[in-house]
Amino acid sequence: MRLHPALKRWESVLALLLIAEILLFGAINPVFLQPSMLLYATSDFIHIGITALALTLVIITGGIDLSLGSVMGLSAITLGILWVDGVDIWGAAVAALAVGTLGGVFNAVAIHLSKVNPLVITLGTGFLYGGAALVLSGLAGATGYEGISNFDPAFVNLANLQVVGLPLPFALFLALTVGFMALLHRTRFGRYVYLIGQNPRAAAYAGTPVFRTLVVAYALTSLMAALSGLILASYFGSARSDFGTTALMPAITAVVLGGTSIYGGSGTILGTALAALLVGYLQTGLQLVGVSSHVSSALSGGLLVIVVALRSLSEMGRVWFQHRRVLRNVAAE
Amino acid sequence: MIIRFLQRHREASVALIIVFLFAILGLVDRSYLSFDTVLLVYGNSLILFVLAIGATMVMATHGLDVSVGSIMGLAAVVAGLLMNAGWGIPASIGVALLIGLLCGLFNGALVSLLNVSAIVATLGTLGLYRGLVHLLSGGAWIEGLPENFKALTKAGSLGLSPVAWLVLVLLIVAHLCLRYTAFGRAMFAVGDNREGARLIGIRVNEVQIAAYGLNGLLSALAGVIFASQIGFIPNTAGTGMEMRAIASSVLGGVSLLGGTGTVLGAALGAYFMTSIDSILVLLRLEAYWNDIIAGAILLVVLITDGKIREAVDHHLRYQKYRKFIDPQAAGQHADAAKAAARPLNTTLETSEARK
Repeated sequence: MRLHPALKRWESVLALLLIAEILLFGAINPVFLQPSMLLYATSDFIHIGITALALTLVIITGGIDLSLGSVMGLSAITLGILWVDGVDIWGAAVAALAVGTLGGVFNAVAIHLSKVNPLVITLGTGFLYGGAALVLSGLAGATGYEGISNFDPAFVNLANLQVVGLPLPFALFLALTVGFMALLHRTRFGRYVYLIGQNPRAAAYAGTPVFRTLVVAYALTSLMAALSGLILASYFGSARSDFGTTALMPAITAVVLGGTSIYGGSGTILGTALAALLVGYLQTGLQLVGVSSHVSSALSGGLLVIVVALRSLSEMGRVWFQHRRVLRNVAAE
Repeated sequence: MIIRFLQRHREASVALIIVFLFAILGLVDRSYLSFDTVLLVYGNSLILFVLAIGATMVMATHGLDVSVGSIMGLAAVVAGLLMNAGWGIPASIGVALLIGLLCGLFNGALVSLLNVSAIVATLGTLGLYRGLVHLLSGGAWIEGLPENFKALTKAGSLGLSPVAWLVLVLLIVAHLCLRYTAFGRAMFAVGDNREGARLIGIRVNEVQIAAYGLNGLLSALAGVIFASQIGFIPNTAGTGMEMRAIASSVLGGVSLLGGTGTVLGAALGAYFMTSIDSILVLLRLEAYWNDIIAGAILLVVLITDGKIREAVDHHLRYQKYRKFIDPQAAGQHADAAKAAARPLNTTLETSEARK
């Protein structure tokens, strides 16, 4: 039996897994199948999805960004500080996004200048931005993890706003998914991203603007992280410096589960988006069934290990079968 | 000359920074500048020392383990539960260390046998082990640990606690092992060139799994030390330690690309990370300045190091090809050689000037 090529794609497997997961939780607890439940549950994890979309670009270039969690906290705190100082909430939001973008540009410049592994550089800038967020909140007197609250009601209501029947953060996620798909799969910039991930040296010799492409990829990741920080601030009604600390690992999980190679060079936005939903709904579903949130995070960790190990095993199996077929053909001659 | 020395001995540059930190402290208040301060910082960095040894081994094999924080928590919870259930202290610690070893071996098997990339595999087990922590502890803190257990980290002979002496011995043994034994060199060989290591007869998979296993064992030890130091075990025990451990090792000159680094360097890195903490407290600065200072210094060290390495590479290439581009040596083809050499020479001059 030959499968249709579209069904062989990793994204189809993810989509099937997602449907199976929703049906399974629905069978245990019918509340889970209500559309409003399915839609509003996304608000708990959609910030991870939004960040993961942009992180896909960085990982395809063969890099990684460990500082995005810190950027989330930094942008939320920037918003809070400016709001406390009497800046208009929308002006403060724009400033917070700008700070986030600058962080991304700095990441790319530092990586380019030092020629050091992105993992190490963003580990350092992660400390730097997280530290900056702590210092800012400390100087503002919001020490510890109390945070800054009492935002403009218009801003706090934003996270619960409806757009064509969808909660705003989820609608934003869908729009960004389409946007990033167009950017990565339909533009010259997108092809450069893949080329750099496949072979940076060949990309440089071919005249690809490597530095510029990296700056844009890292800046977009930080921008999306900053946006996620604002979404969280709006959703919780307060800004804290430790917002993003738990978001980094799930975001990387979503990208890798979505089929992007951690070594760079391959991956799709759709895969990341589906994987983000898959992991997010797994957490929500397990909590609804009565499993504590900590155990559910263990299960999503387990899911990552199993899926990646199975993919690796199937790859090893494929190579083995290929070798055997070649050997048999040789023996037959 | 100095740059060459610092390049060859990465530990020295970290040591210099530490001396510099203490000098600042001395300028502010002479009375702080004592052996007691050095010991105080040493006592505070025990956990990071132990983790840095493990991180050095794993990174030497071109790996990475981000699950160490969760292994720490798991080992601490296991030890705590067993002690509260009436087990003896050595037996409880033994079981906790065994659990850590198993966790590490599982990481190693994923990376080495199943060919999963190190960061992805350990990212998954980071969540997995943390979930086990919550399952075992039932979400509650573990309190009421035996006094004898807490006494393990109370100051004893010569101002050092029993555990502090143990860590000191561990550091020396690990440093010597990694530098002078066949097993230690094998780890670096695997990290430098996996296929090459296999061809000269190193059991690549076994070495890799052993590195992860030992790292798990050491993380469990760090968890036990943590429990003994603070006297109770929260569910979040060890979170975020993986980044500190990796940062310490990187600062001390262990390369994430495998094949280089020393335990001494990683230990100095760990000492530095902790000394910022302690010195801020002594300078009466708020503790929230810690991460930003650590991050800034880490970045400065990394970027300068990258630049120096680039310059040294240029210099080596220049030495290698000098006879081809030196007009005297090139004889009658001097003009052609000079013309050809111009682009290379200019890059060399700029890199020399930078030094």
